[in-house]
Amino acid sequence: MFSVILYGRNDSHGYNLHKRAAISFNALAEVMSDSDDEILFVDYNTPDDHPTFPEAIHDTLTDKAKKVMRILRVRPDQHAHLRSKTHLVALEAQSRNVALRRSNPRNRWILYTNTDMLLVPRDDRQSLSDILGELEDGFYEVPRFEIPEMLWEAAFDRRDPAGNLAKLRDWAGRFHLNQVVHNYMPMKYDALGDFQAALREDMFAIHGFDESMILGWHCDSNLAARLALYRGRVDTLIDKVFGYHCDHTRVAAANNKGRATRMNDQDQYIWNVASPYVPAQAETWGWPDIEIEELQLDRDTAYQRFTAGLTSTITPATAPFVTTSLEWQLYEDLTYDLPHTLPFVCDQVVTFPRSTAVMVVATRPDFLHGFAKAWQAMGFTGSVLVPEECDGLPSGLEGVERGPFADLLPRADIFIFEFGLSTQLPTEPVRAGRPMAPIDRQRLKVIERLLKRVAATEAGTRPPARRTPRRIIGVNVIYNKFWMLFTDNISANINPFCSQVLAGLVREDNSIKGKVLRFRGRYGL
Amino acid sequence: MRMRSGDIEGAIEEFDKAIAHLPTFADAVVARAELLDSQGKWEFACGEYERARRLWAEMPAGAPDRRYLFRHRGHLAFEIEAYHLVRSNVRNKILPQLAHGNALFSRGRPKEALDSYERALLLKPDLPDVLALKGEALSAMGRYQEAIEAFDKVLASVPTDAETLNARGIALMALGKQAQANADWRRQLELLPTGQSAARACVAMRQANYEVAFKEFGLALAKEPANAYWQLYRMTADRLIGASLDPITLPARRHWPFSLLALPTGQVTEQAVLAQADTPNRRAEALFQLGVLALAGNPTAARGYWSEIAERGAPMLIEYAAARNELARLGS
Repeated sequence: MFSVILYGRNDSHGYNLHKRAAISFNALAEVMSDSDDEILFVDYNTPDDHPTFPEAIHDTLTDKAKKVMRILRVRPDQHAHLRSKTHLVALEAQSRNVALRRSNPRNRWILYTNTDMLLVPRDDRQSLSDILGELEDGFYEVPRFEIPEMLWEAAFDRRDPAGNLAKLRDWAGRFHLNQVVHNYMPMKYDALGDFQAALREDMFAIHGFDESMILGWHCDSNLAARLALYRGRVDTLIDKVFGYHCDHTRVAAANNKGRATRMNDQDQYIWNVASPYVPAQAETWGWPDIEIEELQLDRDTAYQRFTAGLTSTITPATAPFVTTSLEWQLYEDLTYDLPHTLPFVCDQVVTFPRSTAVMVVATRPDFLHGFAKAWQAMGFTGSVLVPEECDGLPSGLEGVERGPFADLLPRADIFIFEFGLSTQLPTEPVRAGRPMAPIDRQRLKVIERLLKRVAATEAGTRPPARRTPRRIIGVNVIYNKFWMLFTDNISANINPFCSQVLAGLVREDNSIKGKVLRFRGRYGL
Repeated sequence: MRMRSGDIEGAIEEFDKAIAHLPTFADAVVARAELLDSQGKWEFACGEYERARRLWAEMPAGAPDRRYLFRHRGHLAFEIEAYHLVRSNVRNKILPQLAHGNALFSRGRPKEALDSYERALLLKPDLPDVLALKGEALSAMGRYQEAIEAFDKVLASVPTDAETLNARGIALMALGKQAQANADWRRQLELLPTGQSAARACVAMRQANYEVAFKEFGLALAKEPANAYWQLYRMTADRLIGASLDPITLPARRHWPFSLLALPTGQVTEQAVLAQADTPNRRAEALFQLGVLALAGNPTAARGYWSEIAERGAPMLIEYAAARNELARLGS
């Protein structure tokens, strides 16, 4: 019957976002009763190494919310062409159009709202699907009522949407929540973007949201202006539904700087609108030709993929714990526990697109063997690229491609540099003061040289269509002799030794030292 | 005004009077429902909200090949008043003038609408979207040559504006420039996306291109099986291309255009159909169908029916264009 369209990203937009969003997702799912209903959440521009926002809070969502939610993930690289044009990191018009294009064509209605809204049918025997199912064609809005922060934060149980809706029915009268704030036509109400129900067919006819609105604000008013022109009227659904907003003004959101807030021009996008249509984007709105990843919370989750990957390559520990040490005298000892380390390596990559090609520059054969197996079991379809310059690694592994480093470099989407000892045996104790063998030294030199080359040439060697910098993961680079090398070249956080892994983008160092390092790296000096 | 000033009881009284005077005045019905609802009479108000929606839905909408403006339903009394207020407060902006003009136009007041569009054009002369609306207002006032000039300007800057091609076609046909009108509609048909089957069907019908109309109305019916006009036009196109006729399934609701659908079955007579055609547009629709039925056996009679449409019908009607094209084929 209807597709709810929401957008956001895995960040901290305003006060207690996680609770607001969980309350909202669950409440929206609660009022759905048609098998075609769906919540389309466009996760816009969350960093590749993060899960999407709904994945990050999935444990707070009801089974029903997980079932009806489709997550459309717009990657940073897909946003990169707009980055220089806006101060915002998530774009409303693009997000909503990406969802509209991919919405269930069987649904007659599209409902635009936000991740802090609860919609309460006034007749508690009716679902929103029932309401929209009986509704005549049109463009409908409802007024937004505010819920004080204390109420939703203190009294709502994220996983009890029915209870939350019942509380709202009670509070509405008790706390005088229901104040209708009228607005000029065509907006009709204040905060109109929290409930705009339009026919899917109408949204396609008017070419979706106006994607030139990239500075934030007024996308809802622009839509109202255009749909009001198209339909002639803006109708109310106040007799059927009340819309409640979890007020979040304790902390201003990133796009709210008071009177200094940058926003889309009101005159251009509201008061001087002259047509329902946006012909300039008639063929391109919603990015019809771009493949957008779709994720679900009730199947094939990142956790399931992660565990599948690890289960394929490591067996459960037989001892209650293993030991290592970060003591200074062990600075030169590069032994590490592979079964312990692989989960942290996989954790770094599992959220990347499945088509990702990863370059693995490694010394330990068992690392490559284990990682390549996990990679495939995690469902990645991209290749594991291993430079021929890395000696002593197994050949013929499934999904692994060998080739000259220079050839593989422009094909890689991410890099893993592993600084281990090729001579380490699985049974050896870890960090017990083991000296490096000459062959280890020789192979590590190759890894070091290739890391420097990546650091020096990354920007100029990206795959042709790629616009964003590539992430570099260092394995066994904490509190040992390669720590400095890695962090001189890669802008990584300080991670606990136990995680064994550092990751980041190539350090942008425009000092003389940085320039020298890049020059030396480029020419292998 | 009373509602805005907070005089709820007074406003309800006024709405009661307006609804008693004009029971189909949905705008008043819904405004009164909101007032009653705000007074705690939700259960009663619910029925009134529904009644208003039903009334709006039952109002005829314009053909889907025409500008969005013609698909507006309702008396739009609230919109006229609301946009008048907006244009007083948000001065020198286009949308308030445009929306005000559109509401007036849809209410059947093209002269006042023209004034609003002219005001918008003072702010941004030659803005194609507004010029096109000005052309529509002129056309509705019968000032076809001026309308064509406005549409020419629009199409000079946006040659792919399908809605304006349609509008210019109507104005051209009204002036008897049949070949030019058909050329505009042919171009419109080329431009319309395949998904817009109803619009494609209607513009094909205007050109008397019944093969395309038959196919497109079939697609439109698949999307809107209850649309009696699509059924009627598909049946008409079917008959005029001489294809084997599908059995007619008459709709359960017997209001217009039921009798036009029933006409070929012999369940209603010519006299009954013409008696039920209680508006000039319905009469034109009826005459067109009578002509279609007469064509095979009595082309002279068909010519007679269609000539009346050409002489007295409204040029914006699909039947007007189709009748003129048919008359040309008959050599009159």
